[in-house]
Amino acid sequence: MTTKKEIPPVLEIIRSNIMEYNNPLALNCRQNSSWVRDLELPAQGEILFYTGGEYQLLPYLAPLLKTLTFIDPASKAFSLLMEGRKLVKIIGITPEKVLAGVLAQDKERYNSINYKAAYILKKLGFDLCYDADVEMYSGALLYELGFWQDFKLYAARVVEVIRKTQAKTVVCLSPHAAEMFKVVYPQFNVFPEFNVKTFIELVWEKRDNLPQISDKSTVVIHDSCRLARELGITKEIRDIMESVGVSYVEPVRNKEWTTCCGGPGKMLFPEIARIIAERRVNELAETGASKALLACPYCLSSLQAGSKQERNIIIEDLVEFLYRGFIANV
Amino acid sequence: MSDWQKELAIYTKNLNKASQDENLTRALTRAVKSYRQNVDTALCQYPHTPNLAEEVRAIKEYSMAHNKELLEKAMQAIESNHGHAFYAEDRQAALQIVKDIVGKGKIIVKGKSMLGEELGLREALQEEGNEVWETDLGEFILQLKKDRPMHILAPSIHVPREQVAEIFSKFFQKEIPADITEEVSVVRDFLREKYFTADVGISGANVVAADTGQIVIIENEGNVRLCTGVPPVHIAIVGIEKLVPTFQDAMKVAEVTWRYANYGAPGYVNIISGPSKTGDIEKVITYGAHGPKEFYVIFVNNGRSAMLGDENYRQALHCLRCGGCMYECPVFQITAGHYGRTYLSGIGSVWTAFIEGKESAAPMLYTCLRCGRCVERCPMKINVPDMVGRLRSEVVSD
Repeated sequence: MTTKKEIPPVLEIIRSNIMEYNNPLALNCRQNSSWVRDLELPAQGEILFYTGGEYQLLPYLAPLLKTLTFIDPASKAFSLLMEGRKLVKIIGITPEKVLAGVLAQDKERYNSINYKAAYILKKLGFDLCYDADVEMYSGALLYELGFWQDFKLYAARVVEVIRKTQAKTVVCLSPHAAEMFKVVYPQFNVFPEFNVKTFIELVWEKRDNLPQISDKSTVVIHDSCRLARELGITKEIRDIMESVGVSYVEPVRNKEWTTCCGGPGKMLFPEIARIIAERRVNELAETGASKALLACPYCLSSLQAGSKQERNIIIEDLVEFLYRGFIANV
Repeated sequence: MSDWQKELAIYTKNLNKASQDENLTRALTRAVKSYRQNVDTALCQYPHTPNLAEEVRAIKEYSMAHNKELLEKAMQAIESNHGHAFYAEDRQAALQIVKDIVGKGKIIVKGKSMLGEELGLREALQEEGNEVWETDLGEFILQLKKDRPMHILAPSIHVPREQVAEIFSKFFQKEIPADITEEVSVVRDFLREKYFTADVGISGANVVAADTGQIVIIENEGNVRLCTGVPPVHIAIVGIEKLVPTFQDAMKVAEVTWRYANYGAPGYVNIISGPSKTGDIEKVITYGAHGPKEFYVIFVNNGRSAMLGDENYRQALHCLRCGGCMYECPVFQITAGHYGRTYLSGIGSVWTAFIEGKESAAPMLYTCLRCGRCVERCPMKINVPDMVGRLRSEVVSD
C-alpha cells in the first residue's frame, strides 16, 4: 500500500487564496482597480470590462519567481513566502508590502495596461462598465492545477457577481479568462448568460477607427496558446496591424503552431519556464524584428523575463502598442 | 516534507539539470529541426496522409470499442497459423509467460519495444541467467551505458558520437574512433554473430490485424528482420491496444505511423503470421524452414483496460507512438526523456498514470504546459491537455 501524498504547498496556497480572497496571490480588489483613474467607468452597464486582476498580478509574480529560482518550491521557506497573506493576520503587513520595493516600475506598467485597454475601447465607442469593488479572478488556476471541485463552486460565484453588473457582453483582457467563461465554465455546467469577447475581438470590430501608428520598428507577432489554439483568434491580430498601417513578420512557429511562453510552468518549474521563455524570445528575435507584440498577460510577463539584453528586442503588449496611436493623435 | 514533495524536488532537480545540458540541447535542437523538415517533406510527397490519418482515427475508435472481440479473433487466427497466442493481465503474468517459453541460460536478441521497457523485460530475463542483447543501435548504446531511453523512437538521442566512441572502446576493448560509420560497423559485426547463435528473438509490434493474426513491425535498421527471422524461436509482445480489425486496416495504421515518425517510407515493414514453413516436398506443410520454428504472441493488458473502460482516457490508446508530439513539446525540447519515466512527455504522463499509478505520474502531469501544440501535431488528434487536466484533478482530490 502506498501512503497518500500531500500536494505541494504552492498549489494549496494558490487554491486557498483564490477561494478565500478571489485572487491567486490574495491581492485586494481595491488595489487591483486603482488603474481606473479618470476613466469614470460605471459599475453597471451593457459591456463589462473584465480584467480579472490578471495584469495586476504580474509585477508580484516576477520577483516571486526570481525568489523561486533560488528557493526549492517544495521547501518550507517557499511555503512561508507564499503564505504571505497569513502574515497579515499575524504581524499586520500585507503580502503586497512584503513584495513591494523592487516593483514600482513594473507595477505602473502592468496596471496601466488595464487603463490603456479601457481607454482604447472607450475611444472606439464602446460604453464600458467596470466592477471596481468586487471584480473576481476567473479561477483559471483552480482549473489548471486540478482543483475542479473548488473551480465549479468558484465559477458559479464569479458568474453571480458578473450578473449583478447587468452586462450583456463581457470583454476579457486576458485570453485565459475568455477561455474560462466561453469554453471551460460550460463544461462544469456553469453557463454564463453573457456574451464573451476578448479585447482583440472588440478592437477588431472597429479596427477601421483605429488611428495609424507610425512605428518604424520591425514588428513580430507572438500568438498566445490560448488565443490561437483554444479561441482560434489569429487573423484578427493581423487585420488590426494592417488597419493601423504597421507591417509585421512571423516567427518560425506561430498561429496554431505557436510556441508557448513557458508561463504555465512557472509555479512549479520556474527554471524550465525561464528557459522556454528565452527560447521563444530567440525564435521571435531571429526574424530580425526589434519589437514583439502579444496579447496575453502571462506571455508578456514570461517573455519580458526571458528577453536578454543581447537579443535587443522589445516585448510589448498590443494594448500598449495601440494606445500609442491614440496619444500621438491627441 | 511529504513523499510527493521529495519526489517532486528530485524530479525538478533532474529536469533542471537536463535543461542545462548543452549536449542534450544541441542534439534535441538538431533533431527537432530535422524532424519538422522530414515530416513536411513526407507530407508534401504523400499528400493523402492527413486524410488517411482521419481514417485511422476511425479505425482506432472502432477497435477500442471492440477490443475484446478483436483479441479473441486475433488469438484464434494466430493459433490457426500454427503460432501460439497468450493473454497477460499484468506485468507479472507477461514476464512469467516469456520466462516459461525462454527458460534459462539462453541467448536472446531483442528488437526495440516500448512494452518491453514497460515490463522491464530485458532485466527480468537477465535475472534468469539469460544473455540478452538489444539490437536497435540506440538501445544497444543505452544497454552498455546503463541508461534509459530519452525518446521513444530515438532512444539514445542524447548521446553524441564522442561519447558513443568512449562507451564502445571500453566494451569492445579496442580503440573505436568517434566516427559514426565505424561505430555502426563495429556493432553490426558484434550483433551478427549474436543473431546466428541466439536461441530466441523478441520483438514488439506496431499493429496487429485481428482477422489474419498478422503482426506488423516497422523498422529501419534491419535488426528486427534478423531478430524475428534468424533464431529458432520468435516471441512478440504486444499491447492489446495494437489490435485492429483487418489486414487492410493494419496497413493504414502502419503507413500513418511511419509518416508521422518522419519517414516517407521506412527501411523495412515486417509482416509476420506464424512460424516459417515450407510445402516444397510433396506439398506437405512442414513448420520450421529457414526462419523460426516457433512463434509466440503475448497480448498484454497491464492497465490498458482501465484506459479502455474510461471514455475520458480511451483516446490515449489511439497513440501510434510516432513520437511527433515530443518534438513539438517545449518542455521535451529542453529535457528529453527526463520529462518522463518509461513513457515520456504529455501523452506519457497519461500512460504513466494508468501503467504505474497516478502518484507516480503526478510530477509529469504538472510538468505539462497544457499549451496544446502536441494536439496540432498528433495524427490521432489526441487531446493530451484535457486528459492531463482531468488527471490533475484526480491527483489532488484522491
